[in-house]
Amino acid sequence: MSWAAQWFKSNNWEPQPFQKQCWKAYKEGKSGMLHAPTGSGKTYALWGGIINELKANEVPPKGLTALWITPLRALGVEIQKATQKMLQDCNPELYVGLRTADTIQSERSKQFKKPPFGLVSTPESLHVLMSRKEHPHYFGDLKVVVIDEWHELLGSKRGVQVELALAYLKSFLPQLKVWGISATLGNKALAREILLGPTSNFAVIDAKIHKKIKVESLLPKTMERFPWRGHLGIHLLPEALKIIKKNKSTLVFTNTRAQCEIWFNKLLEKAPELAGSIAMHHGSIDKKIRLWVEEALRKETLKVVVCTSSLDLGVDFSPVENCIQIGSPKGVGRFIQRAGRSGHRPKAGSTIYFLPTHALELIESVALQRGISEQQIEDRTPYLNSYDVLIQFLMTLAVGAGFYPEKIYPLIQSTFCFQNLDPERWEWILNFLLQGSQSLEHYDEYKKLIRTEDGRLEVANKKIALHHRLSMGTIVSANDLKIRYQKGGYLGTIEEWFISKLKPGDTFAFSGKILALIRIQNMEVIVKKSKAKQAKVPAWVGGRMSFSAHLSELLKKTLYDQQSLKTPEFKSLLPILEQQQKESILPQSHELLIERFETKEGVHTVFYPFEGYALHEAMASLIAYRISLLSPISFSMSFNDYGFELLSDQAFDEELFLAHNLLTPEGLYEDLTQSINISEMARRRFRDIAVIAGLVFQGYPNKPKKAKHLQSGSQLFFEVFKEYEPDNLLYQQAVEETFDHGIEHGRMQLVFEQLEQKKIIWKNCNHPTPFSFPLITDRIRSKLSSETVEDRIKKMYLQLEKYA
Amino acid sequence: MVTLEINANEFVLHPSGAVYWREKQTWLLADIHLGKVAHFRKNGIAVPRAAEGSFYQKIALLLSLFPVKRLLFLGDLFHSTQNNEWYLFEAWVKKQPYQMVLISGNHDLIPPWKLESLGIEVVSEQQEAGFLFHHFPDQSTKSFLFCGHLHPGVKLTGAGKQQLKLPCFYHTPTQLILPAFGAFTGLHLLKPKATDKVYVSTGKEVIEIVERV
Repeated sequence: MSWAAQWFKSNNWEPQPFQKQCWKAYKEGKSGMLHAPTGSGKTYALWGGIINELKANEVPPKGLTALWITPLRALGVEIQKATQKMLQDCNPELYVGLRTADTIQSERSKQFKKPPFGLVSTPESLHVLMSRKEHPHYFGDLKVVVIDEWHELLGSKRGVQVELALAYLKSFLPQLKVWGISATLGNKALAREILLGPTSNFAVIDAKIHKKIKVESLLPKTMERFPWRGHLGIHLLPEALKIIKKNKSTLVFTNTRAQCEIWFNKLLEKAPELAGSIAMHHGSIDKKIRLWVEEALRKETLKVVVCTSSLDLGVDFSPVENCIQIGSPKGVGRFIQRAGRSGHRPKAGSTIYFLPTHALELIESVALQRGISEQQIEDRTPYLNSYDVLIQFLMTLAVGAGFYPEKIYPLIQSTFCFQNLDPERWEWILNFLLQGSQSLEHYDEYKKLIRTEDGRLEVANKKIALHHRLSMGTIVSANDLKIRYQKGGYLGTIEEWFISKLKPGDTFAFSGKILALIRIQNMEVIVKKSKAKQAKVPAWVGGRMSFSAHLSELLKKTLYDQQSLKTPEFKSLLPILEQQQKESILPQSHELLIERFETKEGVHTVFYPFEGYALHEAMASLIAYRISLLSPISFSMSFNDYGFELLSDQAFDEELFLAHNLLTPEGLYEDLTQSINISEMARRRFRDIAVIAGLVFQGYPNKPKKAKHLQSGSQLFFEVFKEYEPDNLLYQQAVEETFDHGIEHGRMQLVFEQLEQKKIIWKNCNHPTPFSFPLITDRIRSKLSSETVEDRIKKMYLQLEKYA
Repeated sequence: MVTLEINANEFVLHPSGAVYWREKQTWLLADIHLGKVAHFRKNGIAVPRAAEGSFYQKIALLLSLFPVKRLLFLGDLFHSTQNNEWYLFEAWVKKQPYQMVLISGNHDLIPPWKLESLGIEVVSEQQEAGFLFHHFPDQSTKSFLFCGHLHPGVKLTGAGKQQLKLPCFYHTPTQLILPAFGAFTGLHLLKPKATDKVYVSTGKEVIEIVERV
């Protein structure tokens, strides 16, 4: 019997088959991938193998042996505790360290002087470790890297960080084993290939745990007062309260931090007796408060926690009895994951209540239930050619030990993300770092990297190194300011653009409290508690979530399937469906519905392909672009998961539109590129890219003034590149990402091929229809115009300052 | 181009953001921020050099339009401390036959004697022909004020939820705020009062915005 098996036995636990399989595969020296949901005992499945190997060696290793990477800091705490527990029983001399952005300096130094046996960390912190000169020595004894929740990292640029780090470690640790842990996902094989690289010595182990998930929609009593457009879902608060009161503990999942704040306040307002047993958890809340909430959940001292995706992952909250999902979770996988947060013991079933925020989400609820019962889980699309992450990584190596380009190039090419990085683009990247993407000019003082005599690239000076260290790891970032009470005590962070709109004395809701702004000082927002009843709720700029391809397929099936009409959701929707039918039509599967109506805002033309937000965003630009070629016109566009709207001050002609066959897949990519350039969809993508690639310097902590001459927004960079250096790879990346990632490779072509087969139903309506309502009231819009700026200005006016 | 008559003097608003004072044959230029690109590049941030070079092309075009005696810089001529951009500027200045005056702005950290050695007069403000020239806007001056500093812009809205953000000449009853002439500079959006006039620049045309809500 292996040591881990004995340890299980001494704890009166029975190892599960997948745990034994993992121990065996690990012993055979394999790398691998474990598919297991949270709470299934996946940590010990891998850690057990690692400890068995430790036990088999007579002399315990001196250096760092196992590296465990998790996407969330909160998860790290949990894993460190679990692994430490097992390790201690095996060898009390050894320990597991935790290294995240939250780790204090003295602990970091300790970990470096006396390396732990195991280290739990995040992708960002791993890169920080690699920026130290001594890192080849530090990692010298490393035997295994475990990437936890790989499905979560895979579809993000942090996944690219992991790919680069692994390729780099393997370059000097050829025997390194790599293990991934992932929930089920659509593209399992690809996920494995990306993580493990080209190796045949691997195992794939599936825990085969399928929890029973029960979905129940919270239906409004009458449809009359049910909003047609996305709202906060507050109208169903009494229903949610009933569930909260009935159960011992409930997690309420919201999709945005603003929604989270509002729900927290409204719940407390409606049920003041919850005070003391209700808490909030989202990514901008201070770490201490978040940890307290997590701990309280475990100790079962809280009745309800309102949260965002910040509680999506891992952390084991066994006591949570049920979950309420407010608004669409936008994907089957995410929904299952959230549902999995309740009944969190192996084999226990889960119930999740779906609370729709507007009428059409009831259709989504049915589609989601269908997806769950058919076990249709979406793919995670990995990033390709993320030059921004590569530039950041090369800088990281340069501030540490430096690197030799000819040695590093093949290992970068060995990653999935950079498999197509040709020598030309590699040279461009090196030139960007060495000469700021210019040819050598004698008066240019560009400084970032320099080439030493033996051909090694290293950072040009200490200041550049410091700038990089301060800004590295910021994969997601905005200009965040810390919020603190005048007398001390941090509450969390808030984005600068929100706070800059407030004047001293203004109040806002944060972390469940109403706060009054005193002043902004040294990148900190100084506040005091306020007794005001009304307060602004901060909005956080976050990417909007789009339907996955799967969910949009499910949605279409649900919508067109007569069987759906029998569900309680559709029954309560009936009045709205009838009104849609009366004002326009309910499209069938072979039809594409286009509605046209006028309001005082202008002429609305609304298309309903039901393909998901991301695809509609691109389709809207593309169609707008093709129309704009017929005659000069300006569009304002909005999109949601159901369709998109083109709003213009003048009507484009129905006959002309139909006659020109503007929905053809022909010339799709050319037109799409043109429309992306014109509508500047790429502009938003560029924001992250500029930060990651180190163009936007966020300043020194607590010394914002000194860096002022170096501060500039990503928007200005975007404009300057567009005008003066359109072949800049970072600018190109913004355009490519809009293609590849926003709209899932190849799907666009397919959708247009299908559209061509469909019958177009053009409906001229007298009023906005129920389907169109969420679209025409959306304030987040894109623009596309083929009129000259001069012509457009002549039709415009100024907003005058309002007098108080 | 739009010509304004202020106190019986003619001022031409050029799409580049510069203003030509006809009576004195003088170009007024605000917020050029020379050396900003170089400053960024020196610190490892790769802004295209061409963005800086555009200054010399733009000004060459201006100088060919009207008879010119003098260039009056309304502050923030240089973005930061001296860098190599200075040598390009120096070479350019030496070839120009015009009188040049810099009204110091908050970014002008280059010592005045260096500019004076090139024949550029450096002052904190200038009073001339009943007008005041200064870097910072000021509503309380007795004389009509020409200034910069803000990089003014406005947001225009139109039917069909159309929106545009553009740099502008911002004309209040007592002052004219010039847009930034430099290429790598941002916009500061202003909300006009009923008494203010706004002339936006598209880069090709200057257009007065009359319609208001």
